[in-house]
Amino acid sequence: MRFLIIGNGVAGATAALTLRRREPDAAITLVGGESDFFFSRTALMYVYMDRLSRRDLEPYERQAWDRQAIRRVRGRVVDLDAANRTVRLASGDTLSYDRLLLATGSLPNRIPWPGLEAAREGVAHFVTLQDLAECERLTPSTREAVVVGGGLIGVELAECLVFHGKRVTFLVREPWYWPVALGGPESAMISQHLRRRGVDVRLEEEVAEVLTEPGGRVGGIRSNAGREYPCQMLGVTIGVHPAVEWLVGVTTPPACGRGILVRPDFATSLPGVWAAGDCAEIQLPGEVPLVEQIWYSARRQGELAARAMLGDPIEYRPPIFCNSAKFFEIEYTTVGMVMQAPADAEEFYCPVPGREASIRLVAYRGALIGCNLLGARWNHALFERWIAERRPLDYVVGHLGEAQFDVEFGRLDLSCIREAFRQHAQTRQSQPAGA
Amino acid sequence: MLKQGKANRLAHDLTHRGVTAWLLSAALFAFYLALYFTEGFTGVARALGLPDKWTLYGLLYTLAILAGGVHVLRKYRHNRYQVVRTAVVMFVQVTLAFAVPQILKFFHQPEYYFSYLWPLKLEDLTPGIVFQLPLPYILYSFLAALLLAPALAALFGKRWYCSWVCGCGGLANTAGDPLRHLTSKSSAAWKFEKVAIHTVLAVCVTLTALLFVTWGLGSRHPRLSAFTYHFQSLYGLVVVAMLSGVIGVGLYPIGGTRVWCRNFCPMAALLGLVQKIGRYRITVKQNMCISCGLCSKYCEMGIDVRAYAQANTSFTRASCVGCGLCAEVCPRGVLRLENTATKAPQEFVLVRISGVR
Ligand SMILES: Cc1cc2nc3c(=O)[nH]c(=O)nc-3n(C[C@H](O)[C@H](O)[C@H](O)COP(=O)(O)OP(=O)(O)OC[C@H]3O[C@@H](n4cnc5c(N)ncnc54)[C@H](O)[C@@H]3O)c2cc1C
Ligand code: SF4
Repeated sequence: MRFLIIGNGVAGATAALTLRRREPDAAITLVGGESDFFFSRTALMYVYMDRLSRRDLEPYERQAWDRQAIRRVRGRVVDLDAANRTVRLASGDTLSYDRLLLATGSLPNRIPWPGLEAAREGVAHFVTLQDLAECERLTPSTREAVVVGGGLIGVELAECLVFHGKRVTFLVREPWYWPVALGGPESAMISQHLRRRGVDVRLEEEVAEVLTEPGGRVGGIRSNAGREYPCQMLGVTIGVHPAVEWLVGVTTPPACGRGILVRPDFATSLPGVWAAGDCAEIQLPGEVPLVEQIWYSARRQGELAARAMLGDPIEYRPPIFCNSAKFFEIEYTTVGMVMQAPADAEEFYCPVPGREASIRLVAYRGALIGCNLLGARWNHALFERWIAERRPLDYVVGHLGEAQFDVEFGRLDLSCIREAFRQHAQTRQSQPAGA
Repeated sequence: MLKQGKANRLAHDLTHRGVTAWLLSAALFAFYLALYFTEGFTGVARALGLPDKWTLYGLLYTLAILAGGVHVLRKYRHNRYQVVRTAVVMFVQVTLAFAVPQILKFFHQPEYYFSYLWPLKLEDLTPGIVFQLPLPYILYSFLAALLLAPALAALFGKRWYCSWVCGCGGLANTAGDPLRHLTSKSSAAWKFEKVAIHTVLAVCVTLTALLFVTWGLGSRHPRLSAFTYHFQSLYGLVVVAMLSGVIGVGLYPIGGTRVWCRNFCPMAALLGLVQKIGRYRITVKQNMCISCGLCSKYCEMGIDVRAYAQANTSFTRASCVGCGLCAEVCPRGVLRLENTATKAPQEFVLVRISGVR
């Protein structure tokens, strides 16, 4: 059996290792257009800040791939012929397969702002190793930078630029930073933290026009508020989309929506072809199609897709949502549904006095459905468990101590949270909500 | 990408095996060779009003730990574990490893270093030396080495000693902090470590046994006495002078800060074995690691922490000195040092995460 995997990101690499664990003798080939070895995209910022080398990004020793007899091919796939079971690389080489996995990840979004085409230099994304190299090339000749897009990658890029001593303006289109995940007060805390670290956070502003210098280098932007921000580097971090462009015009394109459409067993519309990770759009029966674009899901999907390719009966059910991030120094963990909770859900929000920390618990029909935890360390697994067990908020607040994961001697003092919850429970009794 | 500016380039060169790093390494080698094998520093010590070169060395060593400690306290001020641990290590160095022995000497007591124990300090179980001391010192030497140290290691891991008390670890975790990432993470280095450190421990235990036998037999076996004497001097030269001093510190800028602790220290080897069966471990949060590699990079013992973290396995490695830096640098709060015999309530989630009905 010949397995071929396109894309050596975490989905593809995990799939390859899973296949090898199960099939000691199969031929497994991993094709990557970006790098020779699987690396952690999540840690690009630490290379930019000199805390890691590029080599440090590789989660496995290089010999491991040979030891596992996983053949690595560097190259970009440009054609897919599912009838003859072959793919063609940009170099002209073809590779044949019996079973194929598409794990091509995602690409940065772009907006055709007026003036953008004229900018030949100075516009950067922050998704690939090539983007990183471009950012590094631009850094010495940059004094001021504008980062556009209020998501996680934008904050990472801003942190890197601050590290390198740049004056950073951070443009956020929404009324507060990252409203899909954070409530107003949490976001205000993050914005304040960013400002203290020297980032000029501008809310409700977006790019109206990109301004260029005579030589073609970006010179600044004009925002929709009419302000001009001079910059020599424009970081565009307005989200990512599944990498499906390359499938347009191939011999046999699989059905695509936002991403490559797959069934809950990761099978695409083409025989012998599966897809997993950021590039896949999963059609779950009775639910809106799912595109998950985080590390954990790509890894999980890669493993499950590999098992599906081996004939295991797989029916993907996304587990309780969980994600983590770090905004400069503030650590963030979220579990379940928070900002997407039903309007009549009960919310308990408590900032921790004297610390850049807060906790937000959301309950629906008397049971915990989600939480946002900032500035302290928590074991998300316990919150997942409480959600699955439909625990009421009283129970959760009473057991918070078990979920603490701070360093020794550094535990967050929970007494203020308990006290705030007591008051919250009292007002709840006088005016019942969320039932 | 390294920061612009001359000072940053120099700092980078020094911490990334550049020319400056090699020069510093050479200087440290020269310093230690001169210290151990010449009397060059005796004059300097006298000129400064110190009794001998070893007091001068102790003073320099203590100053290095204090200066580095202040830097580390500032750098990790948001992390209470680092603050407490660093403060303790600085305190122990100033008192037990420097002032107390001098004070004892002043009061005509033996110049005794309470923070160094057998097998790191061979003298403590060398009958010809230890039995010359007053009884309380004899008792401390035996009980601290054979009971107290292993018991604490079983309860809290070897960190109680290696990164809270010991001067070697103290220097590594303070002045050595900017060099901690240089330790090799390769599996070959791990293989070497396992062989080397347990060899030194075996040699040390054999030598101690031999010292007791020789002492017990008295002067009846002159050839045995001579053999033991030569063995002991060889051990002093190779292990104490060369491996712990010259190589251990001399290689800081090239091989990282714990070359001695990781590969050669018999104390670390012994407590590591206890740690393996004790309660200490590094707990890994399930499915939270993003494989960034910071934990492995900044592990001064060369443990590939990421390999455990991304495989969702909590673990105890014999070599782990519990400095807590992996937990400090982890951007996702995946790791925590714990003294616990019980499993965390995480298995439940693992089953569901597999995503199969
Ligand atoms: C800066 C940054 C930080 C992030 N931080 C986090 C985080 O903290 N936590 C988190 O959960 N997620 C994070 N993410 C998201 C996470 O990295 C992705 O969800 C994950 O990498 C997706 O893995 P994947 O294997 O599906 O795709 P990718 O990692 O995108 O890998 C796909 C690979 O396929 C290659 N490829 C594509 N097309 C072809 C072709 N035609 N031929 C050959 N090769 C091809 C690509 O070049 C790429 O190397 C971050 C992303 C970025 C960009
Ligand atoms: S530092 Fe944390 S997230 Fe990064 S590899 Fe280690 S455990 Fe994983």
